[in-house]
Amino acid sequence: MNKFSQFLVALAAGLSVFVAAWFFIHAGHRGSVPAHAEVSPAVAAATVKPGGAPVDSAKCILPTDYMRAHHMQVLDKWRKDSVRKGNRTFVNPEGAHFDKSLNTCLGCHGSNPMFCFMCHEYANVKPTCWNCHLSPMEVSQ
Amino acid sequence: MSQNRREFLKKAGLGALAGLGAAAGLFPAFALEPTDSSGFTDAPVPGKVRWGMLVDTRKCLGNCTECIVRCHHDHNVPDFGHTKSEVKWIWKSGYENAFPTASTQFQNPEVLERQVLTLCNHCTEPPCTKACPTEATFKRWDGIVSIDYHRCIGCRFCMAACPYGSRSFNWQDPRPHIKELSNTYPTRMRGVVEKCNFCSERLVKGELPACVVSCAENALTFGDLNDPNSEIRKMLAANETMQRKPELGTLPSVFYII
Repeated sequence: MNKFSQFLVALAAGLSVFVAAWFFIHAGHRGSVPAHAEVSPAVAAATVKPGGAPVDSAKCILPTDYMRAHHMQVLDKWRKDSVRKGNRTFVNPEGAHFDKSLNTCLGCHGSNPMFCFMCHEYANVKPTCWNCHLSPMEVSQ
Repeated sequence: MSQNRREFLKKAGLGALAGLGAAAGLFPAFALEPTDSSGFTDAPVPGKVRWGMLVDTRKCLGNCTECIVRCHHDHNVPDFGHTKSEVKWIWKSGYENAFPTASTQFQNPEVLERQVLTLCNHCTEPPCTKACPTEATFKRWDGIVSIDYHRCIGCRFCMAACPYGSRSFNWQDPRPHIKELSNTYPTRMRGVVEKCNFCSERLVKGELPACVVSCAENALTFGDLNDPNSEIRKMLAANETMQRKPELGTLPSVFYII
């Protein structure tokens, strides 16, 4: 093999590396939404302003069975929505409106200070909610 | 093939460069991305809120700490008892500490002795949010620079980045150092940074921030800076005002009447 063909081989290798890198870098970008395309925050701010989100804590937001199994996912989503996106209003399938806040839950469940702890103790789970949030054990809601 | 590693890498690099050049020629967008200039304007965006505050230092005189006490109570701000680990959301600074670059030559001595109320400026261009590696602190849709305490890892980059010293770190568990627990806001845990949140928890309910409400002298005006008809904008238009360290280009949302 002469010098020139060696050069061509190396050039081809470099090109293929570049093409691979190109596709690697741009692989995840197709179809993803650019960050600034979300228009909701401005709208949310306008709707959130006076009076705040309606709170209807007379009954549970979703059926007891569902909440028993999925309250952690619900709370996690609420946290993201209310803290980071400003979307504070939860509408359940019956059309009732709730404020996406731990206080919505504690509005009723706070009446039993042991409500959260009994089950967490039994299931031996240690959520970190009460490191910061004040539980009904510490402050009457 | 008698070719050493160095030779091969040289030629491969040349090939990659050629590919790059070809790609830039084929897809001009890749070579030079058009600059989105919409982010540069500081003109108010219609329908978008930018909360701001105006502190009238002519009214905020003496040793009154009503707003500080009220804020620190409502937000469960701990008192560790010594200045080294002090946690503060709103506090008073000497005039020259609050406005270190403002001219003080032949200034009215009464003004120089004033204690200026200082808090997070909720900058339009906040340096702290850019320093945060976890995006725990971020600029909200309504102009408030907020901290998501769930995400803060306590690296304190934001404290280094903030030119106003508005951020405090919890070196210890703050719970035992809170005099009276208030159920209006959660506490923090050890190892997170905290600061003023412009009372976002009160704004949601349509209430004014705790400091504004607690001020007996009405020295604090709070409102939407993007609304030309808001009280704060009228006050800003009618008075000569200052921002802290304006030369940094952080565009603070807290203004001062001297």
